[in-house]
Amino acid sequence: MRINDRRFALYLMTPAALFLAVFVAYPLFRLIADSFFKISPFVGGPRDFVGLDNYVRAFTSEDFIGAGWRTLAYTVVVVTLEFALGLGMALLFTTLGKKSQIWRTVFMYPLMIAPIVAGLLWKFLMIDNFGLVGTLLHQAGILQDPNQIGWLSNPDIVLFSVAIPDIWLTTSFMCLVLFAGLQNIPGDLIEAARLDGARAPAMLFRIILPLLRPVIAVALVVRGIDAARAFDTILIQTNGGPQSASETMSLLIYRTMIRFGDPGLASAMGTIYLLAMLGIAFFAVATIWRPGKDT
Amino acid sequence: MRVAERTRNDGGKAPSVAAGPSVPITTGGSRRRNRNINREGLEAGKRSTRTVLWILLAASLVLYGFPFLYLLLTSFKTPIDTIAVPPTILPREWTLVNYISALSRSGVVASIINSTQTAIISTLLSLILAVPAAYGITRYKTASGRVFIMAALVTRMVPPVAIGIPLASMMASAGLADTPIALSIAHTTISLPLSIWLMSSFFEAVPQDLEEAATVDGCSRLGALWRVVIPVVSGGIAVTAIFAFLASWNEFLFALLMTAIRSQTTPVVIANFQTQFGLDWGSMTALAAVYSIPVILLTLLLQRKIVAGMTLGAVKG
Repeated sequence: MRINDRRFALYLMTPAALFLAVFVAYPLFRLIADSFFKISPFVGGPRDFVGLDNYVRAFTSEDFIGAGWRTLAYTVVVVTLEFALGLGMALLFTTLGKKSQIWRTVFMYPLMIAPIVAGLLWKFLMIDNFGLVGTLLHQAGILQDPNQIGWLSNPDIVLFSVAIPDIWLTTSFMCLVLFAGLQNIPGDLIEAARLDGARAPAMLFRIILPLLRPVIAVALVVRGIDAARAFDTILIQTNGGPQSASETMSLLIYRTMIRFGDPGLASAMGTIYLLAMLGIAFFAVATIWRPGKDT
Repeated sequence: MRVAERTRNDGGKAPSVAAGPSVPITTGGSRRRNRNINREGLEAGKRSTRTVLWILLAASLVLYGFPFLYLLLTSFKTPIDTIAVPPTILPREWTLVNYISALSRSGVVASIINSTQTAIISTLLSLILAVPAAYGITRYKTASGRVFIMAALVTRMVPPVAIGIPLASMMASAGLADTPIALSIAHTTISLPLSIWLMSSFFEAVPQDLEEAATVDGCSRLGALWRVVIPVVSGGIAVTAIFAFLASWNEFLFALLMTAIRSQTTPVVIANFQTQFGLDWGSMTALAAVYSIPVILLTLLLQRKIVAGMTLGAVKG
């Protein structure tokens, strides 16, 4: 017992803290620092301090504002659909009870598939001409022509189409978390409600959902953060097109940096993006999740 | 730590809202009893209702599973069948030609080796850093520990695209450009925070008497951690390792920014198929299948552990 407990705990945490400081905090610091400079894309090129110029350029750029709205819309679409589908499945599994266990396992497998593979797969399913989705809808009599809906070529709907792989990949995550939450609802409460004559909708909206609120909040916040960072699935499906209609924030920053070679502007965009995400996440945690206030 | 304490009280799954002041903290036994009542509570009673629900479940699962099945079936089609109009579901002729052509392309096998190598290094790095840190946070409950675990949570909100470029240039100036080590480090920035949260909740479940007994018997604190606590949480370490491995195996953005030729991983190669070779759907589907099947098998094998980690990870942050 040469050193006291507090110091021992500190020693245990130091390597991980150092790692995060060097490989997360320092790059973030560089990102913020770079956002005040006009930087040549070439190594060793000129680097001029321009103050807030990059921020002004970001906020006056139509691309940036557009990408911001698209990211928001994308996140809302993904999280809403995923939540609705995941809750439906979780309720289904819960009402079917123990015997559904093997099915729950099967239901989980897309979670393990790389997003890039999922994006590729759905591109293949929705592509014009030989995409299976259009053909099946045509054969089912819903569409007159298999190519009637240009899933990935129509700028009006492409933002929805590129969200499909994301929804497909992570609905099971939402389902599992909600299922775990449902398992923890005390049965006597349900029994009491049933004796009081509550029917299914009342049961769902007045008893189950309020009881699940903390679990729902955490699931929504976690998935919201992930959806707002979507990159792989969109890049492989449309690369942001057509006409930037599916260009979300990650893609825009990536392109500003790599294609247009403007690290200063890209850093300013990245900084705003990060701050916005932190702000929204803290707001969500404070208002919906309310840690500690829900018991 | 409020979250951690709360989740532990009700079985590490969901904060229990219903537990009023009169309900004592549940023990293992009464929790099980609760579950049984729960089953009677939420399960559908009538046989006809149940049948309808089973059919609904089967239909949704077929629909949900179909896309990947179609990818598998496509990978066995001849290149012409792959893009036939209208598309067929089953291959007219089963062939392995796509697998042969995908795997014989230069760089493909190397990329699978790179992916494996990167994921293993990143998993080990993540565990080596996260296990002691999480132990320090949960066992001693110091203020610095609370600050640290919140800071780790905030790290989850950092978009990879924001740190990707500065990270890549840091690696380049350290002479690590285009190496599996550099990419492993980048992947660890993603998996470390989650690993710390997961391991913290596993350590929460270990009774402290265990190590106290060991220290009384003459073990040092590190000795007690290594010989007594680590074996007890080995299941949790396995879960954490699976998640760290998967995070690296499936990651794309860092891999795109930080690798060129020598250390390219398979997701980047799959993405490059689109431009370099036109749209060779047959080879793409074959490589995608090769890359996905091992992790799907692993998942089915270890599904209980993964479900535990997933719900824990989500509820905690």
